Amino acid sequence: MVLIVGVIILITVNVILLSFSSKSQSTFGLGRVGLSLVSPFQELVTRSIRFARDIWERYFFLVAVAHENENLKKSLNQFIGKSNQWHEIELANSRLRDLLKFQKAPTNQVVAAEVIGKDPSGWFKTIIIDKGKTDGLQKGLPVVLPTGIVGQVIEAAGHYSKVMLLIDRNSAVDALAQRSRARGIIKGESADQCRFEFVLRKHDVQIGDTVIASGLDGVYPKGLRIGRVSDINQRNSDIFYEITVAPFVDYEKLEEVLVILPPQSQDLANKK
Amino acid sequence: MRYGFYIGTCLLLLIVQTTILPYIPVLRGMYDLLIPFVIFISICLPMRESLPFVLILGLIMDNLSGSPFGLYMTFYLWLFIGVRFIIRFLRVSNRFLLSAVVVIAVLIENLLTIAIFAFFRPAGQLPADTFLVLTQQFLWAIVTGPLFLLFLLALAKRFNIQWDGAAPQPNAYG
Repeated sequence: MVLIVGVIILITVNVILLSFSSKSQSTFGLGRVGLSLVSPFQELVTRSIRFARDIWERYFFLVAVAHENENLKKSLNQFIGKSNQWHEIELANSRLRDLLKFQKAPTNQVVAAEVIGKDPSGWFKTIIIDKGKTDGLQKGLPVVLPTGIVGQVIEAAGHYSKVMLLIDRNSAVDALAQRSRARGIIKGESADQCRFEFVLRKHDVQIGDTVIASGLDGVYPKGLRIGRVSDINQRNSDIFYEITVAPFVDYEKLEEVLVILPPQSQDLANKK
Repeated sequence: MRYGFYIGTCLLLLIVQTTILPYIPVLRGMYDLLIPFVIFISICLPMRESLPFVLILGLIMDNLSGSPFGLYMTFYLWLFIGVRFIIRFLRVSNRFLLSAVVVIAVLIENLLTIAIFAFFRPAGQLPADTFLVLTQQFLWAIVTGPLFLLFLLALAKRFNIQWDGAAPQPNAYG
């Protein structure tokens, strides 16, 4: 009888704690123990694997490199021309801002970090990076790549941090369709797609439209690229679209990422 | 010696799960490799040593994963209780039983995760790839889970690690 009561109490306490932690994302102050214990070993193994792979790719696998080099040179020439045009536009923009007395957009400082581990479960999408509190990182900071948004820091230990990817089911980003400025929320769905929710049907959204961060969630700066609209379901009679977005970032091949620092952490990073 | 063996194996499995398997496409659907290990230490170590070990293992997994905090600790604790309960009545040397325990444990861990998605999350919607993940992990568990557990038991025998005195079969490594 005592055993049965004990089991029932244990189950009840278990369910309450799980319910609380899943809703509040709380770790009861224990969230950094495992990160600090295991991450140094993860870093060692990841670096060793990359070292071996780099040796293979740089010294033994050079067949396609000459061809690729030629293509890259052609692309570079095109981009130099475009870069020149953009520089002119930037100067014009600066002059016009001065004319209108607009404040300059703040340029964020970033910290480059290496991915040293991935989520052990197939259900959740997180990564471990080799930068932590000592580098100025803290919970909630946006993590990006030049191609688009990667995710946000959800736990920061001394030298390591855990990052929730954009494709995790718990992730949400306030977003805009770049062409029509239709607003909605990007939510994680699976390895290669996200859902663009709460976009009103009165707005014009088409397959191929680029989706960017709106900046209204207070986490991701406005204008960061997220993905491209890959499917729109208009079959049901809901007031919102059902939109699928293919992210620009390839989450299976993440190796290095950039963490955007808040202004006070930028001073710390500068000192380091 | 035996603590070195347990800690070393545990660390190795954690590293393999988080740094090697995710980069091998065919192994991305692999189940939680610590499940056979938790079953193994539940059988081999005395309760006062295995229980803290299981809870610490759960804590580390909760830290490394994006799961709600306590999911792995909860599951490993109940797996430990379940295994300790089962070995009171059944022969541990029965390989069919061990195979069944691993596969059932993998299924229960996945169902627990799905239950959390369904009941505790605001959206209450299951991930689009639920069926795929569940099937992959189930198949991998059937194929490799029992072999892995038997390998751990054979390794323990090789390193001359003693059977838990509380368990009923002292020569149960088979």
